[in-house]
Amino acid sequence: MLAATRSELVRMRRPRLLAAWFGLTALFAVMINTVVFSTVSSGVVMPPGAPGVSFPDSATLAGPDGLVAGLSAASTLFGVITLSFWATLTATDYSSGLIRLLVSAQPHRWRLLVGKVVALAIVTAAAMVVATTVNVLVAFPAAGGAGVPTSEWGTNPLSSIAGAWINAYAALLVWGVIGLVLAVVSRSAAVAIAIGVGYVLVVESIVKMAIGGDTDWLLGSTLTALARGGTTSLAYASAVGLALVYVAIGLGLAGVVFTRRDVTD
Amino acid sequence: MSVVVTSGLTRRFGSITAVDRLSVDLPASGVIGLVGPNGAGKSTLIRMLLGLVRPTAGSATVLGAPISSPARYASRVGALVESPAFVPGLSARANLVSLARLRGLPLARVDEVISFVGLAGRDREPARDFSLGMKQRLGIAAALLPDPELLILDEPTNGLDPAGIVEIRSLLMRLGQAGRTVIVSSHLLAEIEAMCDHVVVVRSGGLAFSGPMSELLARTRAHIDICAEHERDTEWLRAALTDAGWTVTAVETVLRVAAGASAAADINRAAAAAGVTLSRLVVVQDSLEDIFLAMTGPSDGELAADGAAAFGEVA
Repeated sequence: MLAATRSELVRMRRPRLLAAWFGLTALFAVMINTVVFSTVSSGVVMPPGAPGVSFPDSATLAGPDGLVAGLSAASTLFGVITLSFWATLTATDYSSGLIRLLVSAQPHRWRLLVGKVVALAIVTAAAMVVATTVNVLVAFPAAGGAGVPTSEWGTNPLSSIAGAWINAYAALLVWGVIGLVLAVVSRSAAVAIAIGVGYVLVVESIVKMAIGGDTDWLLGSTLTALARGGTTSLAYASAVGLALVYVAIGLGLAGVVFTRRDVTD
Repeated sequence: MSVVVTSGLTRRFGSITAVDRLSVDLPASGVIGLVGPNGAGKSTLIRMLLGLVRPTAGSATVLGAPISSPARYASRVGALVESPAFVPGLSARANLVSLARLRGLPLARVDEVISFVGLAGRDREPARDFSLGMKQRLGIAAALLPDPELLILDEPTNGLDPAGIVEIRSLLMRLGQAGRTVIVSSHLLAEIEAMCDHVVVVRSGGLAFSGPMSELLARTRAHIDICAEHERDTEWLRAALTDAGWTVTAVETVLRVAAGASAAADINRAAAAAGVTLSRLVVVQDSLEDIFLAMTGPSDGELAADGAAAFGEVA
């Protein structure tokens, strides 16, 4: 498995790929912080549950975790980026025919799959570091511009940043696994991204409206709760538990498909 | 010793049988040609040998290990399946390093294969900038990485210019002479004839021939092409030769007599006896292509179809 991870990391060492991944992450971090703080200063009330971004109120922004509020607010957008890159990097193995070379070199397909997941998780961690760094750098001027007090941000910044990073990273890993599973099953990046993003941003909202009641166990809601460290309707521990279930189901499905299906690409 | 043994190996895709009860025994060492028309099942057979595709029925071993456990021989086998596949944005070297890491090989091996296939000096360029020939060489380098006992190459000269074909051919022959077994799938018969010691011909997923190249070439036959001096005599000459017991086919003014070189004088005498002077008499030896078409049949190959259209059988 270690060999597969090292091999995968070599293939990911592409400046354009990393620039796109990290660049989009940084761009979203800047945009979200700017929008979140300017929304608070303008007094516009955003509807709860708007797809993609959740907007914290001014009290939350001024609190001890206000410094990293942008990270959890944009978790869905970071998730979409992660899903897209995991799906693309998985599906291109099929479209390029590289999968033939990889499977004939390493017939233990589970090792290939786990090695890829670990390598993608490592790069995702790096992307999350970029997002966190940009977020911290942008949050101060954005707060200043919006007139949001930042005196409480210094209470315990490292703990706050680390907590936000861990929660957001955990959510991104689930997003990534979804992208990988969809790509393994569909062998198409476009199809995987369309299904993944379409479900979380559109279908899940429709499902929520259709079935009503308790829908916090749904994938998108679980990931939002996980990224925020829990919500009023879904505790952090429950979100972690549900996320683990989703990951186990996803990796199990991907593993079964990947190990049993013929390589005809 | 055999490198590959298959027994009743079968693979169906829905209603299509790509490989049909194929039983073959391939000897170790040398270059082995795997020949067949498009869709004959060559690639499916190769994929089954590499553990990429599972058989529907039958069994096979590669280097003595069953194909149901490809991990037992993967480190001793190198392969190029269909077109070379790489990460285009990475350099040739990085692509090979990635595969070396996957196989747990030392990076010094990367330098060795780069040098062997003649890519030294170009190995730091992105693979996407490579010409087709360089990509094929890179594909062969990837196949050579594990220093394999068995090398399986699917259409290694696809898309290459004549110089590139000669280059790859000599490279493969070098490998065969160095004690490795190289299985080369191709539909370029001249290429197979030039470099293979043993040949396997597949037709519609089944085995049409397996044996030494010399044995296949021994099946070649000859025919004699003749032309009457005056075109108006062609029909008369054809009738005379047919009456004399020869089988004659006609293409425009050329009469093709199914006979070897030893019959040339008799044909000439028969024509003279019929009062026809020949303007042309040529003994033509069948090529490997003719044998191949005879084996695979007109329904399998475009060339055969063309041939059938060009030559009208004459009773």
